[in-house]
Amino acid sequence: MTDDDARAREDQLAGQLLDRADAELLAELARIYEQIDPVPEGLVERIGFTLTLADLEIELARLSTETREPVGARGEERARTVTFSSESLTTMVTITPQDVGQFRIDGWLAPGAALAVELRTDRGSLRTTADLDGRFEFVEVRGGLVQLVIHPTDGSDVRLASLVVTPAMEL
Amino acid sequence: MTADARGPAEAAIGASAQAASETGAGLAAQVAADLIAHRDGDAEAMGALVRRVTPLLWHVARGFRLDAASAEDVAQNTLLAFVRHSHEIAEPHAALRWLIVTARREAMRAVAHRDRTELVDDAARTVAAPETDEPERVALATAAQRVLWRNVSRLSERCRQLLRVIAFAERPDYATLSTALNMPVGSIGPTRGRCLAKLRVLLASDPEWGAS
Repeated sequence: MTDDDARAREDQLAGQLLDRADAELLAELARIYEQIDPVPEGLVERIGFTLTLADLEIELARLSTETREPVGARGEERARTVTFSSESLTTMVTITPQDVGQFRIDGWLAPGAALAVELRTDRGSLRTTADLDGRFEFVEVRGGLVQLVIHPTDGSDVRLASLVVTPAMEL
Repeated sequence: MTADARGPAEAAIGASAQAASETGAGLAAQVAADLIAHRDGDAEAMGALVRRVTPLLWHVARGFRLDAASAEDVAQNTLLAFVRHSHEIAEPHAALRWLIVTARREAMRAVAHRDRTELVDDAARTVAAPETDEPERVALATAAQRVLWRNVSRLSERCRQLLRVIAFAERPDYATLSTALNMPVGSIGPTRGRCLAKLRVLLASDPEWGAS
């Protein structure tokens, strides 16, 4: 087939109605994309977690970097350091495995300020307040979905206009 | 009624309708039903909608070569906006279109943000971008899939984006999709459209297609 023939055939096909072969091609294409680029496990649950805050005034932070480093004698456990950024705040957290199924979260807010920090979990919320440098921690956090919510706080050097919310993540 | 009893035009329409019905009631219709149920106070309806459209939103975002975290943000932010605006969408059948348009806009914003931050800070690249469009890196289950993928990879990026979205919208609901993808109706219209036609021509001239 010459280029002109191909072009003419293409024009003709483009103007026709969809047929069963097209539907089969598209279904096969969907199966290919499901294999090579599957929807990440737990994404629906993570989105559902955030959607429960839909009625509130919130500023969504984006994950900007994530690194993992081995910890412990055998280096099997990995500490994750995750940075979230939004218009008002940068939030960095390091998550370190403690005992089985438990985690320690060390966080740092920039600009540093004594803001109220909430850790939403699927079993309810843990609360703390960052120190003047913006440092905070949660210990003995059980595994599962978690999400940080930083609240506008009276008397803090940083004035937040709304809640700052990170994406949900799996511990 | 058998195919023989119909004229060619009827047969084509019949085949198209049959192909459509075989792939389900159509995502646009299912999403519309979820939205109506949600407005009627069904507490489970929004969760059902989220499960239904998350794969589509993921593939819209990844079609823009966003890294996984950014693609997750696109899906999350799109659905958050949808929940907040769910009472403003006048025509429930337009809900899927609204979701696709919003996800594309979010994805383009994320691309712009990524390009900006890469200019000032190379460290922002620690989250790797997907490279799934390179056929040699892809392990596929069947020979037919490998031949199809090889030919899809020869299409323009725009066509690949379009076909990827259509494939996950389950049923090619062209009125919805042509508007959502900002393409002239004539180019994908109620017909096969340019991108699918190109793919059909490529496959027809590939000796390995249909051989397996």
